[in-house]
Amino acid sequence: MSNTSSTTPSVSLRGLTKVFGGSTVVDGLDLDIASGEFFALLGPSGCGKTTTLRMIAGFSDPTSGTILVGGEDVTSTPPHRRDVNTVFQSYALFEHLDVRGNVGFGLRRKGIDKRTRDKRVSEMLDLVELGDRGKERPSRLSGGQRQRVALARALINEPKVLLLDEPLAALDLKLRHAMQAELKAIQREVGITFLFVTHDQDEALSMSDRVAIMNQGVIEQCGTPEDVYERPTSVFAAGFIGTSNLMSGTWSQGCVRLSPTVAVPAPGHQGSAEGDAVSVAVRPEKIWLSDLTSAMFRVPGTIVSTVYHGATTQYLVSITPDLTLTVLEQNLPRMRAEDRWNAGDRVEIGWLPEHTVVLT
Amino acid sequence: MPRKLERKPRIAVVVTAVFFVWLYLPIVAVVLFSFNDKKSLSSFSGFSLMWYDDLVHNGALLDSLMASVKIATIATLVSLVLGTMLALGLDRVRSRKTQVTLGAVTLLPLVTPEIVTGVAALLLFTGIGLKLSMTTVILAEITFSIAYVTVIVRGRLLGVAHEVEEAARDLGCTHFQALRLVLLPTLAPALVGAGLLVFALVFDDFVLAFFTTGVDPQPLPVRVYSSIRFGVSPAINAIGTLMLLASALLIVTALLLPRLFGRGSSSLDLITTGEPL
Repeated sequence: MSNTSSTTPSVSLRGLTKVFGGSTVVDGLDLDIASGEFFALLGPSGCGKTTTLRMIAGFSDPTSGTILVGGEDVTSTPPHRRDVNTVFQSYALFEHLDVRGNVGFGLRRKGIDKRTRDKRVSEMLDLVELGDRGKERPSRLSGGQRQRVALARALINEPKVLLLDEPLAALDLKLRHAMQAELKAIQREVGITFLFVTHDQDEALSMSDRVAIMNQGVIEQCGTPEDVYERPTSVFAAGFIGTSNLMSGTWSQGCVRLSPTVAVPAPGHQGSAEGDAVSVAVRPEKIWLSDLTSAMFRVPGTIVSTVYHGATTQYLVSITPDLTLTVLEQNLPRMRAEDRWNAGDRVEIGWLPEHTVVLT
Repeated sequence: MPRKLERKPRIAVVVTAVFFVWLYLPIVAVVLFSFNDKKSLSSFSGFSLMWYDDLVHNGALLDSLMASVKIATIATLVSLVLGTMLALGLDRVRSRKTQVTLGAVTLLPLVTPEIVTGVAALLLFTGIGLKLSMTTVILAEITFSIAYVTVIVRGRLLGVAHEVEEAARDLGCTHFQALRLVLLPTLAPALVGAGLLVFALVFDDFVLAFFTTGVDPQPLPVRVYSSIRFGVSPAINAIGTLMLLASALLIVTALLLPRLFGRGSSSLDLITTGEPL
């Protein structure tokens, strides 16, 4: 569907900055989103992600910086002339029009004739599986159906980029999971670039090709879901996505010294000088409690607590009085209840060197 | 135990009945005596349409009725336009503090005793040398009505405005097209509700009209009041009955219109509950 050259990014932000009454909400953002990409802007509320989206849509003027859509500078173009469409968090459906009227609204503004419009509206409603609800008023639809009308209404215009502002936030958990898969499938089918704003890390990881983690107006890290999960580059990124065991120490002879007795080797790490304060992050599921190998960094500890979670068991393991790690173990088929560790058990834990992430 | 709870307390039934009789008996009397065949207002002796005939031939009273219809129509239309503009403008105020302050100032006419508004309007008009006439009544009524429109329209705006308007602009509308094609249709139930309310308020408003009217033609409530001083004619009952019929029609329209817009709730809900639809 999209014939634009794949070398031109769909969206490019250059030094995008927004200052609201003295506070910098978005601070010099530089970002390129490739054509056809499913891109997530992930961050806590107030991190500037929605403001960024609103600037791309044209509802908010940047204080400085430029916005390019399909290689064209749209920084001062009004929203109705930008080749960008938005799915709003509240859906913002037009209650005075029926579903077909809502979906066909954009084409009508473009002056597309009624025959073509009707055909395209029908195709779009089929795509979102609402073919039989065209004559309904939006107020009579369920939350998930309203969401799909909002999606169809934006997609029908075949924008260079579709902006989605927390589109699933208003749905209940089960529906949200179903819609995640559906949204991803629809995006693959239409091939339009999706720029997706969310505070839900699950959503960002499971749906996107790339994720940008945003905090206090800047992008902390940008990469594939695997990149940002496995190799966080900042303490914020490590803490915001999933859970991490964050330990602070000092850099000393290729190791991070956490206490006089514990030093974690980090062979791959570069750029820190002797004595620098650094942090180490290790994901709880990367830590082993049994079947340790000689390749692992190993350290003895004491089980503090055991919490059974069904698919997993979570242990708190005390290494030194000041250092307690969370360990997540899969409840594999071969494991029986009596195989689980109990509070007070002396254990040895370990993890592979590549799972040691050093953060400066 | 639940059986006991289900029994209706007799006292509640009695109180409700008394309430409705109290509320509607005077109105029933007006309707009944408008069909009386005597001038008496205490005994009903027979059915006749003579007072309606009397009304049709009472030029002064008919002039007043027309004057009131005209005043209410113009005041409703003008205050709808101005009040909606004010609501839209207030909605766009960025600063929260300014918005609250302006909102409170807007509400002031609703709580100002009408007699104060009336005297103030009279002093203003005579002060600037404006001759009292139907125009001055209309001007005074508009000032008084804008607040009602603004309050009702703002209630609806709070629920939907920003994202719906932005969605329209996102889909290719200019600011003005967004207003015309999306925002106003979205506000339609509130506008209908506000219009009906203002029309009803202005049509039978006495205090403001009394202070600001000229000699001829006087608005209907003022005319009725002054004619009562010279003895009550049952023609007044006839006009009262006709007005009652007109208001009932208006209310039915207000209840039915939202159905035409395809909504479950009506614009009257907006007036009575103050909640956006």
